[in-house]
Amino acid sequence: PTMSLPDPSTTQNEGYVSATCFDLLLIELVPMAYRIAADLAAKEEVWLASKRRTNLGVGGIGGTAPGLDEEELRETVFFRLDSIGYRVGLALAERFSRERPRFTDPLDVIKFLCKDLWVVVFRKQIDNLKTNHRGVYVLTDNNFKPLKNMSLEKAGAGRSRETMMQQAQPFLYFPAGVIRGVLSALGIQASVVAETSELPGATFQIRTVGSKP
Amino acid sequence: MASLVPGIACIGVIGKQNNPLHISLFPPGERPSLEFSFMLSSSLDIFEQRLPHKMADQDFGLLQAIDERLAMYGYLTNTGVKFVVIVDMEGRPATVNDSKNPAAVGLRDSDVKPVFRALQTAYVNLLRNPFYDPDEHMPSVAKAQNRVGSTQITSQKFIQEVNRIGELWRPGITQL
Repeated sequence: PTMSLPDPSTTQNEGYVSATCFDLLLIELVPMAYRIAADLAAKEEVWLASKRRTNLGVGGIGGTAPGLDEEELRETVFFRLDSIGYRVGLALAERFSRERPRFTDPLDVIKFLCKDLWVVVFRKQIDNLKTNHRGVYVLTDNNFKPLKNMSLEKAGAGRSRETMMQQAQPFLYFPAGVIRGVLSALGIQASVVAETSELPGATFQIRTVGSKP
Repeated sequence: MASLVPGIACIGVIGKQNNPLHISLFPPGERPSLEFSFMLSSSLDIFEQRLPHKMADQDFGLLQAIDERLAMYGYLTNTGVKFVVIVDMEGRPATVNDSKNPAAVGLRDSDVKPVFRALQTAYVNLLRNPFYDPDEHMPSVAKAQNRVGSTQITSQKFIQEVNRIGELWRPGITQL
């Protein structure tokens, strides 16, 4: 498969990057985000405790349970990964929309996302694009690269399929952020929700600002 | 007496919200910055006016010939960033590197294309700097955060690269 690619030693800016390294990096993002969130929560708890000791009357943060509960933790992780993805998306859009002629409408931008950008980041195109022509787009990738090598334990033994799916979801936060960043750089404000109902497929629901549901 | 050849007088980088990201003047001390800021602002009108008609290409080419000496060229990226180059037909004293036949016909759009290509490369490289956050340089975001002060680019590398491009350019150069 490498026979048709230019030899990196002869071309100026081309080179090979290990796809596996990239995959491993993306995988590590999620536990890292969890670790940082837990770390910061612990530090905040220590700081709050010291404030309480000195009686500075800090308002209740919502219970005295140390650290964050499951929901807050997930939100923190989502925000962190989404923001990282967003910044990456901004840069990707600038770099890869370079040679293209100007985009004529939002659908053009979405198609660029599905075809050109997905190939750059995930080495394949989006498999299915649906739209209601009123600002909502649903992108389906039936073999989403980050989920490709995931396997879940079988349902049963006290764990339902939903909790299994919930475990996979944080790995979609970064790609969702990338989508949001690319769209924002190309002039489209949108919210992106990523879901997986069946590994290794993933769907991304893009809702542009001002669209009707 | 040395003849004068065209040289770049000013390079402007303008952001998505029409905010100035960076302005470089060549030679640095000798150009009145207020006048050139005004010219850059007027270029924005031309971008807006021509935008609906402009189809495929990003290169707006010659925006306006300001007077006999100065001409403005513009380029719009897909992400809304505008590069404006103001060329002074008598910008620099001729050196041995310049061609023996000065361009009596004036500049062509293709002469300025390498400048835009190099500027866009410099901007893409700026975005690859993790310490540069494009959102921080948008006035709407700065306002939301109640920040005061300029939203211009402060990256040394980018500014140096822009200056290098501006100083190196001459008509007929193909690679910057």
